[in-house]
Amino acid sequence: MTPHNEIHISITALATVLGAAIFSIVLLRMALRQKQRRNAAGRNGDPDWSVPTIDAYADRISFFHQWDPRVKIATLFPYCFIVVSLQSLLSSTIALLVSLGAVAACRIPFARTAKRLLAMAGFLSMFLLVVPFTSPLRGGETLIYFPGMTHFPFHMAGFFVALNIVIKACGVALLMEPLFGTAPLAVTLQSLSRLGLPDSISQMILLSHRYIFVFLNEIQRMYRGMRVRGFMPGTNIATMNAMGNFFGMLFVRSFDRTQRVYEAMLCRGYNGRFPSFIRFQATPKDWGKTVFWLLLGLLLLAIDRI
Amino acid sequence: MHISDGVLPTAVTIAAYAVSFCGAAWSLRQVENKDLPKIAVVTSAFFVASLIHLPFGPTSVHLLLPGIVGALLGPVAFLSIFLGLFLQSILFQFGGLTALGANGVMMGMPALLCGLLFHLIRGKTALSHTIAGGICGGLGTLLAATLLAGLLATAGEDFAGVAKIALAAHIPVFIVEAGVSAFAVSFLFKVKPELLDTSRLRK
Repeated sequence: MTPHNEIHISITALATVLGAAIFSIVLLRMALRQKQRRNAAGRNGDPDWSVPTIDAYADRISFFHQWDPRVKIATLFPYCFIVVSLQSLLSSTIALLVSLGAVAACRIPFARTAKRLLAMAGFLSMFLLVVPFTSPLRGGETLIYFPGMTHFPFHMAGFFVALNIVIKACGVALLMEPLFGTAPLAVTLQSLSRLGLPDSISQMILLSHRYIFVFLNEIQRMYRGMRVRGFMPGTNIATMNAMGNFFGMLFVRSFDRTQRVYEAMLCRGYNGRFPSFIRFQATPKDWGKTVFWLLLGLLLLAIDRI
Repeated sequence: MHISDGVLPTAVTIAAYAVSFCGAAWSLRQVENKDLPKIAVVTSAFFVASLIHLPFGPTSVHLLLPGIVGALLGPVAFLSIFLGLFLQSILFQFGGLTALGANGVMMGMPALLCGLLFHLIRGKTALSHTIAGGICGGLGTLLAATLLAGLLATAGEDFAGVAKIALAAHIPVFIVEAGVSAFAVSFLFKVKPELLDTSRLRK
């Protein structure tokens, strides 16, 4: 085994770094809270249960909007797997930059994409914090010893493994807007059925997607009612009882509602599929875009293997 | 907790996709058109449940509900959870597109098993339903956490620590989930017991 390097960090250096880190986290939280307060003006105290609509910006014109959805999905889905399989930091960073470029090219506000990245922050920061301290010792790597934690050195190799994961996860997450945000959901699902997804599944996705927003409205109403009656969530049996009944009620009400809606749909001639008037036509331009992305993917793989 | 993109080795993500597709296809064969509303309801509720945070001591946990999904849908639970996860990943990046297969296995398998178990032990009275609901709710989360740890362990030695922490982090979820599931099932048994009957879904 090649010998590894050791770096010992003094308490003052650590204190400075930690102080700076805590300071920036506090600043970030303050900024977030201020933004939330601005958004939540007049809604006092209700938890944020909003769900973004996936296709709110589907009517714009861009590289991705004008790409035939069938070809787009069939190209970008395998490309995501190429990004995930990258091993080196260099290639995954390039993939991240490509994804950033793609987000910029599809002309969707970056705030939506930032929200996606925030949703992964908890899971990914766990990797960044835990993996460097628990990964096995590799030959030739650098260990950093923090004061007071001599049994848990910080493995640089483990840190790079975790960093690579974070970069790849962000790279793929960024591609979700170009992939699903640039066509109406119905069109996306239609193109998925052309690619072989059974009709009944796309019906289920469409219905469920519709009901998510109905349910959110419903639980907001129910939860407000509970708060008005003095419900205070806590760590106790009463809370579990209330929440269990809450979910039970949600099921009962929404089942009755969907049953009624479904019967109404049947009355209007629903036979298991929605009529669709979408015509897909792949032009040489669409295939050109596909070739471009596949070459990009191969290039990334080539850089990765060097 | 959902697995993000890029964590698992590519071979594992593809294998998990294959397993998920088989599970979903098998589920789909049990579906009749008239079950569509019920599946849509449970899928959306599964989706919505992940937004609701309950306090647990100093932190808060969000519910996963694999146990209740299994109890309500029986063999179709796998499909419902897979679709719910798909919607979660395209709407707000819970999990990821390439990790969808792994997440489907992680949440769908426990739901299937819990559904089976629930119908074996639920008995006839409200009390036995409550207990069965609690057991299935807790067991579903426990199995999901175990599968999560197992999947993370396939990614290599680097992730053993994360796998252990993820397992430990699920202990509060496990307790809250068991309690909420027990009460939800007992509520459904009293108010609309036909929802718990999945024999109609089994041909």
